[in-house]
Amino acid sequence: MIKIKTEQEIEIMRQCGKILAEALEEVIANVKAGISEIELDRMAEKLIISKGGEPGFKKVEGYKNTICISTNDVVVHGIPTDYVLKDGDKVGIDCGVFYKGFHTDMAQTTVIKGGKNLVEVNKFLQTGEKAMWEGIKAAKLNNRIGDISKAMQDVIEGQGYSVVRSLIGHGVGRDLHEDPEVPGYLDRPILKTPLLKEGMTIAIEAIYNMGKSDVIYSGNDGWTIKSRDGSLSGLFERSIAITKRGTEVLTRK
Amino acid sequence: MTLMAHQGSFEIEGVVKESLPNTLFRVELTNGAIILCHLSGKMRMNFIKILPGDKVRVEMTPYDKEKGRIIYRFK
Repeated sequence: MIKIKTEQEIEIMRQCGKILAEALEEVIANVKAGISEIELDRMAEKLIISKGGEPGFKKVEGYKNTICISTNDVVVHGIPTDYVLKDGDKVGIDCGVFYKGFHTDMAQTTVIKGGKNLVEVNKFLQTGEKAMWEGIKAAKLNNRIGDISKAMQDVIEGQGYSVVRSLIGHGVGRDLHEDPEVPGYLDRPILKTPLLKEGMTIAIEAIYNMGKSDVIYSGNDGWTIKSRDGSLSGLFERSIAITKRGTEVLTRK
Repeated sequence: MTLMAHQGSFEIEGVVKESLPNTLFRVELTNGAIILCHLSGKMRMNFIKILPGDKVRVEMTPYDKEKGRIIYRFK
């Protein structure tokens, strides 16, 4: 069941998204060689709490950190370790904030300079970010979820990369994950996907690999998911609300 | 945090091994597994009887490999 939010509830989510966007932007700015994954996690937690929010991911059963960090071939849900980032590493940070009863979810990926193939990796990341923004553009009142999925798929596959199929965007609100599912590709005709209505709040995610789309669980922590062929993976996500004044990005400063 | 896509149901064929009370059936699938199946509503509505020995099509969910729904009886 897709839950519709009232104006007041969207306002709370707007404030929640602001906390998240400010915190995540600062964490991303600190992604440099020499800092460890766990330091970034602690930084995110401190920032979120100092702004009046709570780390949203800590409310997920079995997850004990504030961020999910995706280094190199990790696609999603990397648990921050004491691995120290080095030149050329691609680093994705996924984070959530819980504020006054509501969640917002956001992710951004960047690359540390000094590695080989910097031009190629930058093109890869720009494609994913563009795909996410195209998806958000397509999230207009009276469009369908399928329009979002198609927009993202066209950008990513248009550049020769592959959309990860087993991981998807989702509704967001009182729960971190709500209906509807928002895949990054069309898995059924657009007309068979849910209609976008006023009051819907969804997290649109572009999840994609440089190589093939298959992903596998890595190691034994039960969380980390990597690309099966070891290729680089990108993750970009924003939480948005469909309002009568248009589509609004909630996770912004 | 990203959500894992919810997996869809799939269909598989089997042979009814025994009939149990309340239109439940033990079915041996083509892959060898023996699972507990119930009769689908559409078949109930149309009064389609199932007897041991019938070849049937079963709908299953990846979330529970022990259960299924009989959706078709072959002639």
